[in-house]
Amino acid sequence: MIDNKKHLVQKSRRQFLRNAGALALGVSPLRSLAATDNNEGVSLAGGMRPLVKYPEKRDLILVHSRPPHLETPFSVFNESLITPNDAFYVRYHLANIPTEIDLNKYKLSVNGAVKKTLQLSLQELKSMADPVDVVAVNQCSGNSRGYSLPRVFGAQLSNGAMGNARWTGIPLRTVLEKAGVSPEAMYVIFNGLDKPVLPTTPDFKKALNIDHALSPEPLLAWGMNGEDLPFLNGYPLKLIVPGYFGTYWVKHLSEITVLDTEFTGQDSYFMNTAYQLPDNDCLCITPGSTADKNRPISTLPVRSFITNISAGDTLPSAKPIELEGIAFDDGSGIKNVDISIDGGMTWLASTLGENLGRYSFRPWKLAVSFPQKGNAIVMVRASNKNGEVQPLRATWNHGGYRRHAIESVAINVT
Amino acid sequence: MSNNTSFITLLSPMIIGTLLTIVALACISPSVSQPYASTDTTIKKISLPASTISLPVSKLPGYNLALQKCTICHSVDYIHHQPPGMDQKAWTSAVFKMQHSYGAPINESDINSIGAYLSVVYGTAKTDDPKIIEASKSTVSSSLSTEIIDVQVLLTNNGCTGCHDINKKIVGPAFKSIANKYKADTDAISKLVLSIQHGGSGKWGSMAMPPMMNVNNEQAEALAEFILKQ
Repeated sequence: MIDNKKHLVQKSRRQFLRNAGALALGVSPLRSLAATDNNEGVSLAGGMRPLVKYPEKRDLILVHSRPPHLETPFSVFNESLITPNDAFYVRYHLANIPTEIDLNKYKLSVNGAVKKTLQLSLQELKSMADPVDVVAVNQCSGNSRGYSLPRVFGAQLSNGAMGNARWTGIPLRTVLEKAGVSPEAMYVIFNGLDKPVLPTTPDFKKALNIDHALSPEPLLAWGMNGEDLPFLNGYPLKLIVPGYFGTYWVKHLSEITVLDTEFTGQDSYFMNTAYQLPDNDCLCITPGSTADKNRPISTLPVRSFITNISAGDTLPSAKPIELEGIAFDDGSGIKNVDISIDGGMTWLASTLGENLGRYSFRPWKLAVSFPQKGNAIVMVRASNKNGEVQPLRATWNHGGYRRHAIESVAINVT
Repeated sequence: MSNNTSFITLLSPMIIGTLLTIVALACISPSVSQPYASTDTTIKKISLPASTISLPVSKLPGYNLALQKCTICHSVDYIHHQPPGMDQKAWTSAVFKMQHSYGAPINESDINSIGAYLSVVYGTAKTDDPKIIEASKSTVSSSLSTEIIDVQVLLTNNGCTGCHDINKKIVGPAFKSIANKYKADTDAISKLVLSIQHGGSGKWGSMAMPPMMNVNNEQAEALAEFILKQ
């Protein structure tokens, strides 16, 4: 079922505080407590993150304003399996972002090691092939970075830098095939209309291996959940790379360049220097040390969340309670989602719900009953068909990337 | 401007949310894409809210440098929302990264000074720590009257061209627009010098210009003359 779900605790403490804060506007203790909610357990140098209203968006959590970076409040993931467009997170790297796009002037340029350079309008793209749909999770590489220990610099995200949407477009390879890719091609580089402020700052460009670019998965999408892409999610065209972290999903896509060489130079920064993981089995290092070798971040590790309870909630004992949540991975497919209500001593298998496709959030639910009163730790652990299981403890890397440890929610049972 | 924007303005966020949920529910059946109505207008335009967070005031020289340099490329909330408890070394290396990886126009002395300031106001360092004092006093003075003033170098080193273009508005107004506004003003040079050194009031848009405290009078006058000639 993907209909609107109800939070298990109708009036959680946090909602109460938020309502109280709204009524008693300007009363500082309540306001600051309510604002704590936006940090979702992440402490910050400058205090609490405000909720802000951006074009085509409901109130989202401010990470930073120039360039815009907005996080989805976690409660949204309890509303529906598909993340609504107005709640979907926003992340830019460079401050010269487009604020006006005229479709009469917009062109997607396809160039480099191709037989024929293309300049395509959105209309031309739309008429190149029958549109296809994929439901896929876009998760930021740094989602949950705020929980990294020791802490690392970077956007101090809670768990809301992710979303699940139905993307509509045409396969990337349709365009590449039309341009005629050189047999020597190695990479395909993607660039969008967002630009750096200074000429000394690298532009935001990402690369896919040619084999990946020519596979059926990557899409050039103009539609998101049955509407045009919201401006801040990359209108009018976005690269969709199912199973891969959001860093590859280039917004306001304007240029595709086929390379028959390595990708080098200042503008290869976000591919070759940033968004790197230690190149070893665990993709991790001991805090403070440096990896001998790094490699670009790529696919989503298996991950799961409980969406209908949150930390500090109060639940009744000896009463059936249906826990609900989501799990996702790189497209291998979710195998099991297990729940523990005793802090990880014993695990119970949940029931998986509707399958919207292998790249989508997969819902799960399980009725549990808390035998005794007091504090309880509820945990969720997913495994996938590729044999991956979420680890109990998070590993560490310098960028605070790719967090996917088992989530624990501390609640009170009365 | 466009139908799209006015459509969005008219609807409350709650209604949009509901509509989107309905749309999402309607498209759940997999495989072939269902066509959907798109607006006729070809121009889509947004306007972004201004940042409301400012840097904590401090007497440390790194404060003015941070005001001037950091905000060339990003809002203050970028800094404000970093982890607590970081020390001077950590903050200084974060500022170094801004220069080394992102090409921020800051020299070694600026990096040390900004790092010291940020670690005091956001981290574990104390203003009277000898290391903070040492890192803060190294600011290079560029007020030598004998130096040759090169406007292009000034524009680059102070990050002016990050926000201003000669012909078109970026974040700040085009130099041509400024020249046009002040063309009949006999006091234009001193007004521009004031804006350059002490920052703008936001009269050109939502993003006020940061003060360029390191630009001395001769340099500011040279910049003002250059801008007014456009």
